[in-house]
Amino acid sequence: MSITRRKFLGWLGAATAGTTLGKTAGAASNKHFSGYAKSMGVLFDNTRCIGCRKCEEGCNTVNQLPAPDRPFDDLSVLDTQRRTTAKEYTIVNRYDDTDAGHVKVLGPLFRKVQCNHCLEPACASACFVRAFTKTPKGAVIYDASVCVGCRYCMIACPFEIPTYEYDKALEPRIMKCTMCYPRIVKGLLPGCVQACPTEALTFGRRENLLKDARERILKFPDRYVDHIYGENEMGGTSWLYLSAVPFKKIGLREDLGVTPAPKLTSGALSAVPIVVGLWPVLLTGIYAMSKRKEKIANEETARAVADAVEQTNAAAAAKHAKEMEQVQKLKQKEIENAVKKALEAAARPKPEEASDTQPEEADQKPSEEDS
Amino acid sequence: MRKGRIRLGRTGIILIAFTVTICLTGTGIYGSKGPSESAAQKRADIIRIDSMKTFGKLERPPVTFLHQKHTEALAKENKDCSACHLVENDRLVPKYMRLKDTAKQEVMDTYHLNCVACHKETADAGQKSGPVVCGECHKDKPDLVSIWQPIGMDKSLHYRHAKAQDQKCGRCHHQYNEVTKKLYYAEGKEATCRYCHKDITEENRISFQLASHLACIDCHRKTLAKFNDAGPISCDGCHDPVQQKLIEKLKDVPRLKCNQPDTVFVRTAKSGSQNSNPVSRMKLVPFNHKAHENYNDTCRVCHHANLNACVQCHTQQGTKEGNQVTLEASMHRLNINTSCLGCHDLSQRDPKCAGCHNRIARTRQQDPAACQACHMADVNRVAESMQHTAEKDLAAMMLDSRIPVAHTFAESDIPENVEIKTLSNQYGPVKMPHRKIVQTLFGNINDNQLVRYFHRDKNTLCQGCHHNSPTAKKPPSCASCHGRPFDEREPFKPGIKAAYHRQCMECHGAMGIEKPVATNCASCHQKKG
Repeated sequence: MSITRRKFLGWLGAATAGTTLGKTAGAASNKHFSGYAKSMGVLFDNTRCIGCRKCEEGCNTVNQLPAPDRPFDDLSVLDTQRRTTAKEYTIVNRYDDTDAGHVKVLGPLFRKVQCNHCLEPACASACFVRAFTKTPKGAVIYDASVCVGCRYCMIACPFEIPTYEYDKALEPRIMKCTMCYPRIVKGLLPGCVQACPTEALTFGRRENLLKDARERILKFPDRYVDHIYGENEMGGTSWLYLSAVPFKKIGLREDLGVTPAPKLTSGALSAVPIVVGLWPVLLTGIYAMSKRKEKIANEETARAVADAVEQTNAAAAAKHAKEMEQVQKLKQKEIENAVKKALEAAARPKPEEASDTQPEEADQKPSEEDS
Repeated sequence: MRKGRIRLGRTGIILIAFTVTICLTGTGIYGSKGPSESAAQKRADIIRIDSMKTFGKLERPPVTFLHQKHTEALAKENKDCSACHLVENDRLVPKYMRLKDTAKQEVMDTYHLNCVACHKETADAGQKSGPVVCGECHKDKPDLVSIWQPIGMDKSLHYRHAKAQDQKCGRCHHQYNEVTKKLYYAEGKEATCRYCHKDITEENRISFQLASHLACIDCHRKTLAKFNDAGPISCDGCHDPVQQKLIEKLKDVPRLKCNQPDTVFVRTAKSGSQNSNPVSRMKLVPFNHKAHENYNDTCRVCHHANLNACVQCHTQQGTKEGNQVTLEASMHRLNINTSCLGCHDLSQRDPKCAGCHNRIARTRQQDPAACQACHMADVNRVAESMQHTAEKDLAAMMLDSRIPVAHTFAESDIPENVEIKTLSNQYGPVKMPHRKIVQTLFGNINDNQLVRYFHRDKNTLCQGCHHNSPTAKKPPSCASCHGRPFDEREPFKPGIKAAYHRQCMECHGAMGIEKPVATNCASCHQKKG
């Protein structure tokens, strides 16, 4: 069926208006989620890190990862910037640009790269099979048994942390730091924290780590940049960073903003149920109503036409009947005249034939009263 | 069929154009890096010409002008400053090709006509020339990095200048008479130009930048013409960091005579005799002015606004001219080198000291007895004594009563080697050369009178490592306080492993000690197994 432009625009307007009437869903809840109470975190302080890579070694041992290509005490790997790989949950990078403005920083700075265990993780939000869980302990853990290998989590992560076992043909997994979840529930320290000789990594409750970090900045203001990275970035992370130089100089993006990743898409996603639920019903309803209206309109038109035809026919028939009557009357008159004449003619010369013609007149009278 | 082909062709062209645009501009590609900053040219002679500011809001970005580039180019054609600068009263006028700013269009024309004309001429002569198009000069973000460094008179430079001028101070130093509106020389009142000439040109007073260029460059120019040897006249000669290092620095400069005291009590009252300030009840501080003159390159480090005593502006309550900085703050504020405590504190950042002092939080909370290190002289006693002894002698006496001799324990009491074997599951014990370390640190201390004075107690030096514990000949071991890490109740106390590692590594790092390398575990302890 062809649809008019007006109708189309009307449907569009109705659908949009219906969508906007609903409330947009907030991620998790409509309030700001500042982590589960008593969740753990790790504070990394790059003024204490000496770039010894013992954390990488500790992680490798505790998680039984395969042996690396170059041994952990080979510090020449720090000459290139690396990222996490399928065999390395965490790596250390060296940053030589230590220009902190007025404060002189001695020597290069290092940063440990690993999953930041965000309070509202983008990976968990992107995963449609719920392979990621944000545990109350603070760690974001991965369940390989439900993973379908779509790698949406890798795209979603703003820190580009999850890696994939591309080299495995059967059952490849996403690989990322687990904050040593099985260990921390037992009260042990994560492998990297345990191994660090200078306590550049401090493990504890996230709220306490924030207080600790603030105190460090207060006590040694010329040592640190006055900002705790991870306090609010992407809605807050469990892995916090303190640095002697601006964070973008140690490879941490400063343009991420404070909106948690799930909240960026929750608006559009919350519109899906209303679209799927409302639009078919609404549009079908509108369609049905307009269709019915058309049908009724058609019926009425037909009836009106039929009435009109009937009326016209009746009028015509009545007219016809009238005229027929008149014609009959005329004919009757003629017949009477003719009879009269005949009678008169007969009465004059031969009076015995006048009584024969009278019964014939009675037969010729019109008896139909047709329409 | 034909219509379809046309549509396909059109889509194809659009796609190709799109791809090419993305590739060329490189925007929006995650991880792509912009142009590297090192490509920018480093110049010390950048001048931003924004003279049109006086006529209202600028219509175009200020012109970035490279002065030295032009002087060098003109020199090649045997042209000198007069090619661009007019001369008035035997002095070069710093403005370009004019004596003063007249009307907007005139000034604009002066620049446009002269600059562009010269550029065109040079280009016509077949040489490399400057821009002639509007946007090439009026660039908003030129690809330049300024390496300009400020320069000032220090004791050595001043001595050299004074010698060259035969000690005739009036050649440079002047005062201004508001009544006659003339400059004159006032003997005994010489000071740095900066006390009067500030950052911007005011009504009747040119900015320090203008003043210094007019005075210095002019004199250098004339001297160069006469004697063939003078100070720099190019931008780089004074402001390029490399060239600055080449400026001769004399080691032993005779003391600049300015009627300053040798020893004095720090004033706590604006006027009246030293002891007459009833409001201040602190003991007076005897101050060795002569010795402090040697600790800084210029006088203006302390005398930042004038050559008077601090209390003239920084009274006890603070005044407007003193920026509401009270007397107490002017003497004790940290992180600034104009205050006594601030300068002393900043000296702790020296690598020789930083090993211990970097880790001590910079707060003013000290034992009140520490004040006595400086505040020695009882006000009333001084008042009495001043009746028959001169102030400077009194102050000198008090200063001499301080014995700036550093002490530490006798050699036999300092263990030669200390074996640290508290943690040894992965690595063997550490054999630390304890005595050598103490003696090196002690040697560092003995350099400086101030340092010696503050380390006069023999326990003080030990507290650098044996901290947060009572002083003793046998201080407690680290393990007595440092145990397991990450105790919530004591967030600032590291565990024993980190305590050892940080104590040694941070000290080595702050002092610039290259061996042992922190990441070389074996240099301190052998790996076990």
